[in-house]
Amino acid sequence: MTFLLQTALLARRRILETLRQPIWVFMGMSVPLMYLALFAPLLKPLAGGPGFPGGSVLDVFVPGILALMAFGSGMGAGWIVIGELESGVIERLRVTPASRLALVLGTVLRDVLMFVVPAVLVLVVATPFGFHPHWAGLAILLGLLALLTAACSAGSAALGITLKQIGSLAAVVTGLQLPLTLLAGVLLPLSLGPGWLQGLAHVNPMYYAVEAARELASGTLASAAVAEGFAVMGAAALLAIWWSTHAYRRAMA
Amino acid sequence: MTGSAAAGTTRRTASGGEAAVRVTGLRKSFPGKGGRVEALRGVDLSVPAGQIYGFLGPNGAGKTTALRILTTLLRADAGEVVVAGLDVGSHPAAVRRRIGYVGQRGGADIEATGRENLVLQGRLYGMGRHETERRADELIERLDLAPFCERIARTYSGGQRRRLEVALGIVHRPDVLFLDEPTLGLDPQNRANLWDQLRRLRDAGTTVLLTTHYLDEADRLSDRVAIIDHGLVVAEGTPEELRGRYPAAVTITPRPGFADLAAVAALLGREPLVREARIDGETIRVDLDSATTGMAAIFALLRARGVEVQGVSLREPSLDDVFLHETGRSLRDAGAPPAMEAIAS
Repeated sequence: MTFLLQTALLARRRILETLRQPIWVFMGMSVPLMYLALFAPLLKPLAGGPGFPGGSVLDVFVPGILALMAFGSGMGAGWIVIGELESGVIERLRVTPASRLALVLGTVLRDVLMFVVPAVLVLVVATPFGFHPHWAGLAILLGLLALLTAACSAGSAALGITLKQIGSLAAVVTGLQLPLTLLAGVLLPLSLGPGWLQGLAHVNPMYYAVEAARELASGTLASAAVAEGFAVMGAAALLAIWWSTHAYRRAMA
Repeated sequence: MTGSAAAGTTRRTASGGEAAVRVTGLRKSFPGKGGRVEALRGVDLSVPAGQIYGFLGPNGAGKTTALRILTTLLRADAGEVVVAGLDVGSHPAAVRRRIGYVGQRGGADIEATGRENLVLQGRLYGMGRHETERRADELIERLDLAPFCERIARTYSGGQRRRLEVALGIVHRPDVLFLDEPTLGLDPQNRANLWDQLRRLRDAGTTVLLTTHYLDEADRLSDRVAIIDHGLVVAEGTPEELRGRYPAAVTITPRPGFADLAAVAALLGREPLVREARIDGETIRVDLDSATTGMAAIFALLRARGVEVQGVSLREPSLDDVFLHETGRSLRDAGAPPAMEAIAS
């Protein structure tokens, strides 16, 4: 009970902090919309071809963009954590009896919210342009990708506490970002690629999320890919949250 | 203000009472270049309840490391630490409920208002919503936060922010309040204001433990002082006791031709409160055990001998003399090597 209250209080603090910086809310929404407006049209000629079965290219493209949004919403956590290490906020909170898990989850919940709200907006915007929504599948999809956001948020926070410097964090995160997103097939399905690329993708946890997201978006709710996606993302989120909690708990020099 | 602090000291020392903090054999080392660096090398301390206690020492002496162990932020390598009656190593969560902490970097959430900061802090300590609101109002009034507490803390001046941070440290009415270099970077007015606040807290029964590298902060604010250097307590006691161990230096300049310097120096040397009297050029330098009574005796003697005096200067012992005597260095010059600084910060 205390733990839930603390988590809610800390999430509320984070949400207020975000709402006070509307520029970030605006940026979070504009990036996916730009992909839809400026990149998706390039895919038009591919409709019906390999990798794009059936009707609209958006049916394949939108789930990938959602996965990219989920990834991006989480990865900012480390920057905030480093700022708070420097201003002493984390040290102050660590001297209170607040649960260390609640400290982690407060940020994770805000990041999940900051993924879900723009994601719904993207779905609503994409529908009149030929995206075929299967709302039950999309609801489950948002749940799956929320796990991806949680994993990224907790992982990024843990990295921030461990590395303590913006420069190092930026190097690690940008170093991870390209291979993780490219090898997940967020922009184009990896089934278009050669066998070695598809094989390599199987070591990338995010690949399973994107595969499952495409199935869910097409209305397939029960499939091996969906089960795999949840298993991999669930494990990644748990592992990252454990790591982050451990980082908060551990003595920091 | 100094007078009332001194009165507080005697009253409290006389009343005794149990220790708010007890430290025995505390050790801590950190990995550093060329092996481990010992930040604390066996610290023993006892902080009486209801006093302002100062850790005085240069940067890198180990003050911050000690404070971080006392506040559950760091684990000790060895030794026993009892805060508010509880062992820090085995009951960190229970200790956290009884202590407040104001770190060197402050820790106010600059993206939230002062009031939001206070309310969240209170609620994280398990206080109810109404109780927290009431307490926030009380602290806003007492620490004079009202003019700015509804604004985002990012916009605060240094002194305003520090006041908020002290309020954050005491929202839950802790038994012991720890502050790490609380007046670093404050202007004289804000500094005096913070001293007053800490005295008021002390007078209301809170034990206040602070680190400082300012001599006057240790001397005038603290009821007791532990002088720390290279990870050890080199001296401990009330500022008066510590200073009292060292002589006051009086320099007497007689009018030229009005006295036989050697004869006067010899006479002065026989006075009971005089440790030593020697000739230094045209002046006589006298080391006195007690400045006030000693000066009276010196003047009486000089008048009786008809020595006309051109000038007298008195230098009373300071905590720097204590530090100098114990460590061979002056506190003003004693910085830590860069490697130690990095660990302490």
